[in-house]
Amino acid sequence: MTQIPRNTSPQDLSALVLEWLDKNWDSEKCRPKGTAQYNEKAWLQQVLDAGFAVPSWPEAWFGLGLTPRQSGIIEKTFASRRAPGAGRDRYHLGAITVFKAGSEELKREMLPTLLTGPICCLLYSEPNAGSDLAGIRSKAERDGDDFVINGQKIWTSNAQEAEYGMLLARTDWDVAKHRGITFFLFPMKQGGVDIRPINQITGESEFNEVFIEGARVPERFIIGSKNEGWKSFQTAISYERLIMGQGITERGRGAANKGRHPLIELAEKTGQLSDPVMRQRIAQALAYREINSFNNVRAKEEMQSTGTSSLMSLSKLAMSRIQHGEAAIATDLLGVQGILDGPDNPLSANANFDAAKAYMNSIGGGTDQIQRNIIAEKVLGLPKEHDTDKGVAFRQVKSGVN
Amino acid sequence: MCVISDEDRNALRNSLSRLLEAAADEAKLRSGMEASRGYDSAIWQQLAEMGLLGITVNAGSGGIGGGAIDIAMVAEEIGRSLLPIPFIEAAVIAAALLEASEARDETNDFLARIIDGTATVAVGGKAGFVPYSDQANSLTIDPDGKLSGEVSLVLHGATADYLLLAFDEGADTRVVFVKQGSDYVVEALQANDPALRPAKIRLGNAECIELTGLSVEAVELARLRGVAALAAQQVGAARAIFDITIEYLNTRYQFGRPIGSFQALKHMAADLLVEVESATSAARAAALALDAGGPNVARTVALAGFVCADAFREVSAQAIQMHGGIAYTREHVAHLYWRRARAMLSMFGDSNSHREAYLQAWEKSA
Repeated sequence: MTQIPRNTSPQDLSALVLEWLDKNWDSEKCRPKGTAQYNEKAWLQQVLDAGFAVPSWPEAWFGLGLTPRQSGIIEKTFASRRAPGAGRDRYHLGAITVFKAGSEELKREMLPTLLTGPICCLLYSEPNAGSDLAGIRSKAERDGDDFVINGQKIWTSNAQEAEYGMLLARTDWDVAKHRGITFFLFPMKQGGVDIRPINQITGESEFNEVFIEGARVPERFIIGSKNEGWKSFQTAISYERLIMGQGITERGRGAANKGRHPLIELAEKTGQLSDPVMRQRIAQALAYREINSFNNVRAKEEMQSTGTSSLMSLSKLAMSRIQHGEAAIATDLLGVQGILDGPDNPLSANANFDAAKAYMNSIGGGTDQIQRNIIAEKVLGLPKEHDTDKGVAFRQVKSGVN
Repeated sequence: MCVISDEDRNALRNSLSRLLEAAADEAKLRSGMEASRGYDSAIWQQLAEMGLLGITVNAGSGGIGGGAIDIAMVAEEIGRSLLPIPFIEAAVIAAALLEASEARDETNDFLARIIDGTATVAVGGKAGFVPYSDQANSLTIDPDGKLSGEVSLVLHGATADYLLLAFDEGADTRVVFVKQGSDYVVEALQANDPALRPAKIRLGNAECIELTGLSVEAVELARLRGVAALAAQQVGAARAIFDITIEYLNTRYQFGRPIGSFQALKHMAADLLVEVESATSAARAAALALDAGGPNVARTVALAGFVCADAFREVSAQAIQMHGGIAYTREHVAHLYWRRARAMLSMFGDSNSHREAYLQAWEKSA
């Protein structure tokens, strides 16, 4: 493991990482030095052993005890050499959740596997449990040392690649809905797991439906405790929302701060850069994006000085108005040309794609409306709305399905 | 540029905030509005005693040599208090230009009186440069140095001891200082915000001192600092009325529960929080950019210029809606914030002109 003092300057840290990469990674051929072909598992193991996979975790747990900011520098340095495997403390939701909410035994058994494997998929939503996620009906029933799972999950990305999924399933039907849920680290590569891609409105198929029939998960793979899954799940979902607020779902992100903004270019191409109404709309769109980046800087600073920041929960909501707004302006700039699509009409195709893709941010990971409830209740301290299913055994809750 | 330490700045913020809480609670704010200046003169004196009216002036000239961050800190607290005092005019614009001018020998005493709070100054004239800018001003200086013309809207013009007026002549900006007793006529105007004291000023061969030797950069810096200070003031005021509104949502009951439990109001509150926090970030970024310098100063200040003005307008307007009938009364405080927000929309240029400047800065940076 690399030894790096916490007070190392960004420049020194970046230089240290570059030195290690230059020794171990061939950035031309995109594979480890001295190897004939890229073996993902072996390389991820090498990065993990060096401490660069999860640098912000403690040294006892594969990390280097660095700050999130320092970890970000390492991630960027890896990206500059086109080397995979860094930043897993930021985006490997499965590993992060097991690390934050799992038992000592589960962490010791599974973290090495998770950190050298593909990212976990998320088995949360169901056809009848979307915004009201705690209304899930997937069943987990004990059978010896295992639980047997039956149910249907939806909106699962990376389901084909994933070796493990993070599964919410009901283990007690006679208590209120939040109290009978268990959070499992669920092995995906087994019989009884049927994965079917969803055709999305963007034309992509990054999400799947997952049908689970009689598949098994060992009891020791519970994250947290039985029937207390909702608590462990909060850890996972808060990281997911944070990542989305950084605009992770966007095509060609980061454009706002480098070079000419795509909307200015499009206005020029369509001859409307001198239209005063369009100029006002474009300026406002650029402003929304820039102030969101200022908010994120403040959020990170507050996190570092006090360990918490109410600004974290705002950026996903702010990102929705950015993405929907920019797509609307692009559509209006294109006018009638926007009717066209496909590779022969790249400007319209981009605008059409972005207009559809914006829903990924405003619906995925909790709709904007759910997000506003969360901000109002958790940040502003407004009272919860009256829930008709509060304290009612889940078995008795009206569902509209049966 | 900035000589005030973080520790001193925090101490200053704490004592200023304590002072304003005590000296400008709602009752005192309202009684001050009935006074001739629109505020209690004792508060102005107390700000002077804290050194805040010399915040931009160097220590050698009797000030405390603060930067844009310090100005923003003070302006935010003043905004929160809703005091209608000419802090930006006196401390951010006039004091800085008087200090930077070559006419120092003639104006030293006036600068000293502005810093020690014994005189106030109103600022008017050129569009986009001064508060409540007046596109139609017709100021001229004759060969004897006498000032004539009319400025149709000068905030605090009815009550200020001095006037600082700016106007364009060809490509140059000329700035003149008019002292009390000079020959000019003040016509008090009625404002929608009852605390403001706007006036039309007519000058006929009035005596004045021209602030010569002001560099283009010095004039632009004063303008940018004015915009950034106003943004901070709007942030303070927006957060104050936002907090009042959230408190009301938690305490007002209808249908047997706090109205804040209704999603219709929760969603409005969440959206307004995004506005308040975004404005906070924008005002802070503008002050940081001003103190750090660099190529993005004008762009970042323009951003704060419209984001904060629009946020204060939106938050104060929705605050009335969210309160319901109680805020449709003069007795409730919400309309005071709403009036101030509307009055602030056109200070230092309106939001549309800031947006245009912002986009132009983006086009240049590409």
